[in-house]
Amino acid sequence: MNKAIRLAVCCITWLLSLNSTGYALELKETPIYADQVSAATLPPIAERLPQTPYVDHLELLDQRQLGKPGGTINLLMAKAKDVRQMVVYGYARLVGFNEELELEADILQNVDVKEGRIFTLTLRPGHRWSDGHPFTSEDFRYYWEDVINNEQLYQFGPPKQLMVDGQLAKFDVIDRFTVRYSWDQPNPDFLLALAGPGPLYIYRPAHYMKQFHPGFTDPETLKTRIIEAKTKRKTWTALHQRKDHQYKFDNPELPTLQPWIPVTPLPSERFRFVRNPYYHRIDTQGYQLPYLDEVIIDLASSRLVPAKTGSGDSDLQGRYLSMGNYTFLHEGAQRNSVNVLLWRTTRGSQLTLYPNLNANDPVWRKLFHNVDFRRAMSLAINRHEINQAIYFGLALEGADNLLPESPLYKPQYRNRWADYKPEEANRMLDAIGLTQRDHRGIRLLPDGRPMEIIIQSAGESTEETDILELIHDSWLNAGIKIHTKPTAREVFRNRVFSGDALMSVWTGLPNAIPSASMSPAHLAPTSQQQLQWSQWGKYHETGQGDPPDNPAVQQLLELNDQWRWSTDNSQRESIWHQMLDLYSDNVFTIGTVARVLQPIVIRRNLRNLPSDGLWNWEPNAYFGVYRMDRFWLDEMATSAAISPVEER
Amino acid sequence: MARYILNRLLLMIPTLIIISFIIFVIIQLPPGDYLESYISELESQGESIDPLQIKMLRQQYGLDEPFLMQYLTWSTGMLHGDFGYSFEYGLPVSDVVGDRLFLTTIISIFTIIFTWLVAFPIGMYSATHKYSWSDYSLTFLGFLGLATPNFLLALVMLYFANVTFGTSIGGLMDAEYINQPWSWNKVKSVLEHLWIPVVVIGTSGTAGMIRRLRANLLDELHKPYVVTARAKGVPPFRLLVKYPLRVALNFFIADIGNMLPSIISGAEIVAVVMSLPTTGPILIAALQSQDMYLAGSFLMFLALLTVIGVLISDLALALLDPRIRLYGEAR
Repeated sequence: MNKAIRLAVCCITWLLSLNSTGYALELKETPIYADQVSAATLPPIAERLPQTPYVDHLELLDQRQLGKPGGTINLLMAKAKDVRQMVVYGYARLVGFNEELELEADILQNVDVKEGRIFTLTLRPGHRWSDGHPFTSEDFRYYWEDVINNEQLYQFGPPKQLMVDGQLAKFDVIDRFTVRYSWDQPNPDFLLALAGPGPLYIYRPAHYMKQFHPGFTDPETLKTRIIEAKTKRKTWTALHQRKDHQYKFDNPELPTLQPWIPVTPLPSERFRFVRNPYYHRIDTQGYQLPYLDEVIIDLASSRLVPAKTGSGDSDLQGRYLSMGNYTFLHEGAQRNSVNVLLWRTTRGSQLTLYPNLNANDPVWRKLFHNVDFRRAMSLAINRHEINQAIYFGLALEGADNLLPESPLYKPQYRNRWADYKPEEANRMLDAIGLTQRDHRGIRLLPDGRPMEIIIQSAGESTEETDILELIHDSWLNAGIKIHTKPTAREVFRNRVFSGDALMSVWTGLPNAIPSASMSPAHLAPTSQQQLQWSQWGKYHETGQGDPPDNPAVQQLLELNDQWRWSTDNSQRESIWHQMLDLYSDNVFTIGTVARVLQPIVIRRNLRNLPSDGLWNWEPNAYFGVYRMDRFWLDEMATSAAISPVEER
Repeated sequence: MARYILNRLLLMIPTLIIISFIIFVIIQLPPGDYLESYISELESQGESIDPLQIKMLRQQYGLDEPFLMQYLTWSTGMLHGDFGYSFEYGLPVSDVVGDRLFLTTIISIFTIIFTWLVAFPIGMYSATHKYSWSDYSLTFLGFLGLATPNFLLALVMLYFANVTFGTSIGGLMDAEYINQPWSWNKVKSVLEHLWIPVVVIGTSGTAGMIRRLRANLLDELHKPYVVTARAKGVPPFRLLVKYPLRVALNFFIADIGNMLPSIISGAEIVAVVMSLPTTGPILIAALQSQDMYLAGSFLMFLALLTVIGVLISDLALALLDPRIRLYGEAR
């Protein structure tokens, strides 16, 4: 009797999946589950998948092919905290970016956006958490009503991505599989936040989390749970937060929707992740993704990661490797049958100088506010020399602006005020009135002090020191002397925030390959972390301090607001261009070189990783957009496979 | 004797209280707190975090409390076995350190045995063959061991062990045995990896010990009682072991006090470089990320072991060498 029902359910779900996808897909059981399914400890594949699974046409993509399920790969990480990278690499999101960096529904069956402010999210009926419990609108309701709107849990209010102009969204449950979020104003950040590498989670496994919530558990049971819990404070909020690590990914009990589930509790030196039997994606052969049965993360100190990778201890490695390791890795590649790929990084500039527009020193601040001074400083840097001396000439020279990979790229944004013109720079500095020099040839400030700038650095790498050394020499020709002061990161940031730092050095624009639908907030003072105008950023975030008094900066802020209100893509594009134009013409930050190559080491028979990819946190989520669930091990492959690097 | 021990034990209490306060102050001295170093670590990887979440965590972790309050909670907690909470791991400190103590102890004991096995014969040999060709060459080797930075030696040996023997780099066992119950194969894998850290950590200790043993022995070898014994026909080796060596051992007993804490802490830098699953890397990481309770409790534990170790070596010295008196009064 039971069997008959199951068979009927099976047929119905199969028919449904046939209908909605339009493909006569015959589902194939994952080999590793065969025993469990025949022993009836795990339902068969048709019952584990949503009624309409996501059918991934991965074979249509360049360099990709259909694979076989099975196999284990090893990754190396430096700290136990790094297990969160499995959420980044796994990249199962409500909506996510594809390789063209367009948003598409992933966990969701459909997203409907009206006027840029009403978002209707439709789930996949039959989709289940990794423990087999259905994933429904209740999980969204729980998050909304019992988590962020609970004054004890979120006493400082809901996350800011859910607020527009200080107003919280209106949340409605339409039915078991549909929820709606609406604002009065457009919220362009909402879907981007859901698709982020560290996403905004607007749902919780309610059936699991309710065990730790006083609204759903009787006080006695909860009390014992709180006492047993390993938290700092013995309160239910601490317990709830400790268990609720969807992003940190270190609670093996917590149900998830990611392709792999953690099984090793902290602390450990080795973390195992096993496939999620209820994952919602399949390939066109009818195999459930991910292909790989297991991912193992071993910990090694970050300095040992390149050495261990070079000796073949990692099957897929990008993190903690850098261009400096390339020759060593390449040598080991021959011995250990791995390939070393070179991907492109997508920061606006590998190393950027940030003149502090909020510096405390009034004389310097006045100079930094002078656009000609900033331009002259930029013209006095010999970027070609930096590229040749440090990056083998493989990097891209220019200002801290977009890369050619971006649809918004225009050559003038990168080239403007970014050529090496020492005479021009000197002429401009003279024109500002900085004509006095001391016996060393250093220009004097209007109040008679020599122009010596202390550049604050977080002392991240020797690469940074080398570049600054080259800049030191070329700026000396312009009559400006720099000293580098490396400090601990926290001290570094606090010096910039307080205005004590005249100039600081850090990486450039975090995402230099945006499309018009991505937020241009990095170009305007919107965050304290922006080192060229951190106090204006803080004003934007918290309302403390003074608003920007520089007209160009005010314009950037205004444009950023316009972008947020606009819902039309061509309008957004024109706003982006206005902002980029302003940003590059005003030289608010001084870029050096960009698109530095990143070595990626992969096992030679690991398939479906493109040989040329983009390596960044946002928007690609490192391997995330390339979909780690598609990677598979080709057991038939011989070690004679060619190395794509040598091919180039 | 009993009164002496009791006195010393009582004296430990104020010592430890002062140490605990100094430790806590020093750990808190660098600007910022755990959450600030957490934010900047995320920033350096391109990640960002909601300021609201930080506010929440700060309150959750009690980092917004005044300094003295934090100190009192921590120090009184330790009295009943609560060593505080590690923010980095999200676990109580005892859970984090627990598993690693065992492996650390193994490495340290092996290292100490290695040091003794190498240092004693060489020290005795070079003292008895003073200024000979072999004394110079052994001394040269010893200084080489003392002068080579440990971490460099570690890296070089890791590389060659990997290339020649195929030993996996770093760690104390092959990865597949981590989190597995102990088995013969696991023991073999540990032994296969153990020799590199033992040799690396051991070399510098060996060199120092050779020098001290040699110097102490040289002081004794020319004393009249040795000459007399030799004149009476005692065989040279028996003579050496029975009289001058025993006298020269005082420094060695006095060393026990320092050895006890180093068994637990291991050689931190080498352990970081070789990513050994010992306590050293945890301590360093905790100090860097200002995970204050983890670092504090750990240092406190080391302080306790030092205090006990010093007491033990004082007592052992008194037992071994009748010339040492416990009290200042004349006999």
